[in-house]
Amino acid sequence: MTTREFDGIRLERVREHVWEIPREGDMRVPARVLASESLLERIGDDKTLQQLKNATHLPGMTDHAVCMPDGHQGYGFPVGGVGATDAEHGCISPGAVGYDINCGVRMMKTRLTYDDVRGREEELVESLFANVPSGLGGGGIVENGIDTVEAVLSRGVDWALEEGWAVPDDLEHCEDEGRRPDADPSAVSQKAKDRGKNQLGSLGSGNHFLEVQRVTDVYRDDVADAYGLEPEQIVVLIHCGSRGLGHQTCTDYLRKIEKRHGDLLSRLPDKELAAAPAGSELAEEYYGAMCACINFAWVNRQLIMHRVRQVFERIFDRSWESMEMHLLYDVAHNIAKKEVHEVGGDPQDREERELYVHRKGATRAFPAGHPEVPAAYRDVGQPIIIPGSMGAGSYVLRGGAASMDLTFGSTAHGAGRLMSRTQAKQEFWGETVQDELRDQQHVYVKAQSGATVAEEAPGVYKDVDEVVRVSDELGIGDKVARTYPVCNIKG
Amino acid sequence: MSYELRPHTADVAVAATGERLDETFAAVADGLAAATCDEIPRTGGRFSFTVRAEGLEALLFDYLDRLIYERDVRGVLPVANEASVREDGDEWVIEASARGVPFSEIVARDVKAVTYSEMRIERTEEGWKAYVVLDV
Repeated sequence: MTTREFDGIRLERVREHVWEIPREGDMRVPARVLASESLLERIGDDKTLQQLKNATHLPGMTDHAVCMPDGHQGYGFPVGGVGATDAEHGCISPGAVGYDINCGVRMMKTRLTYDDVRGREEELVESLFANVPSGLGGGGIVENGIDTVEAVLSRGVDWALEEGWAVPDDLEHCEDEGRRPDADPSAVSQKAKDRGKNQLGSLGSGNHFLEVQRVTDVYRDDVADAYGLEPEQIVVLIHCGSRGLGHQTCTDYLRKIEKRHGDLLSRLPDKELAAAPAGSELAEEYYGAMCACINFAWVNRQLIMHRVRQVFERIFDRSWESMEMHLLYDVAHNIAKKEVHEVGGDPQDREERELYVHRKGATRAFPAGHPEVPAAYRDVGQPIIIPGSMGAGSYVLRGGAASMDLTFGSTAHGAGRLMSRTQAKQEFWGETVQDELRDQQHVYVKAQSGATVAEEAPGVYKDVDEVVRVSDELGIGDKVARTYPVCNIKG
Repeated sequence: MSYELRPHTADVAVAATGERLDETFAAVADGLAAATCDEIPRTGGRFSFTVRAEGLEALLFDYLDRLIYERDVRGVLPVANEASVREDGDEWVIEASARGVPFSEIVARDVKAVTYSEMRIERTEEGWKAYVVLDV
């Protein structure tokens, strides 16, 4: 048997791209890392493996904790981590969702081609930067106070539809039609609502961005047809989350759980894994609050997408409808969701159980035929959008047939960071990165500061091609198309 | 009192030291401001607040969380932090103040949240040191 060891943590190779940390000590289940040899080297570089081992200590963990190919060190639960806990006897952990609840990506298609955009990139990037709020204190597209926030938390994209920020087609192409029915706005604190009321429709900063891209490659014609993608087509990718409202909600519940369920917390190896026992008052409250934040994030991305439509209308002097600027799909990266999965180690003893599937920096990847895949895509599988860095391609995948057995229906969420922001600023100079991207790769970037560009330089990220290759070869997310940046704005 | 920003794969960590807890806590808060913004102008008015928590780590967590909240709601970056930390029965209390630099005067990134991950507050021969990972 092939084994590898990193900082005293031993992994056994189960099969191609599947590595297992066997159960030991207080681990409730084994842990698995889905990675090629080269990605495993990177994953072993920091504390990702220790954090993955820690995650297996959560009560009710089922089958195994999983690290996606783009996994890296976060806090508490690793980024790129998937952990499913029993929804009746297990727990729900805000730390295993992350602070940015429903941080995610949506892709909008257009009928434009790269030829339509070429030569107008400067104008486009300037206009997008001027019209889409970003950075710290950039405000939002809608700043109407607490009543609006309450409606958004409760009704999700239905609210945007009523207010003229969405069309019915947008809802039909969003997970859950853009509304979590379990949302409980009363479980979201006033503090969180105060932070959210001025940020609705804003990118934020860090690794969040808005990118105009062109489709460069199609790998599966039938699925690409079903998604409406073809080479040279222009698409728009929006990456952001629930802003301060979601961050505050995670913070609030970590502290509430710490105070009320200290006994459980004292048995966990990291305080950041704080978890509420399934069925407890706090578990229900957190789930309701988190679902409300999910709605907020969907509306956030919806407002930005609609603003992008308006920008394109002005630049290209045509209606957005005539440019067929339709939503392809919206996927969450930081989420916990009640889902029914077949679990159990022994093939003959496997049974269906309701689980809280925690995905922190991972994407749901349901295959063709699954009833929770929107009707528009049920025959081919759920779209998955995996952004790369500013200088690399992004990918559209579809939920793979093996995802339900291997990853609780999940795959990767991005390229995954390689180096710290501090190191990035030592190695890269923002203006130089910006000039090189424009002159050598025809990618036009505009950001709040040069430091942001340096921190998000292409060299800071892992090889997204390799991440997607592993996902495709494992059959958890099948490669459909590749896109390449044209314009990028960052907070 | 001093702080240092330490590298972290996805986030940013602050390591701070001080002769007294007051100085160490304020230094972490200044580290939070430095993780948000590279160049801080000498503008803005001071504001103050009090935070109570059940333990020292919880107090540091809640103090930084409160600064992030004040930042978003007031629309200012809290800098030049001052703090007074004391034990009060079974609680810890911090009375703090900061100068709020208006967002319009800076270019800054959004530090999303304070985390408990790897958090340490230790007494040393020289005083106190603290280590906090921030989600950016």
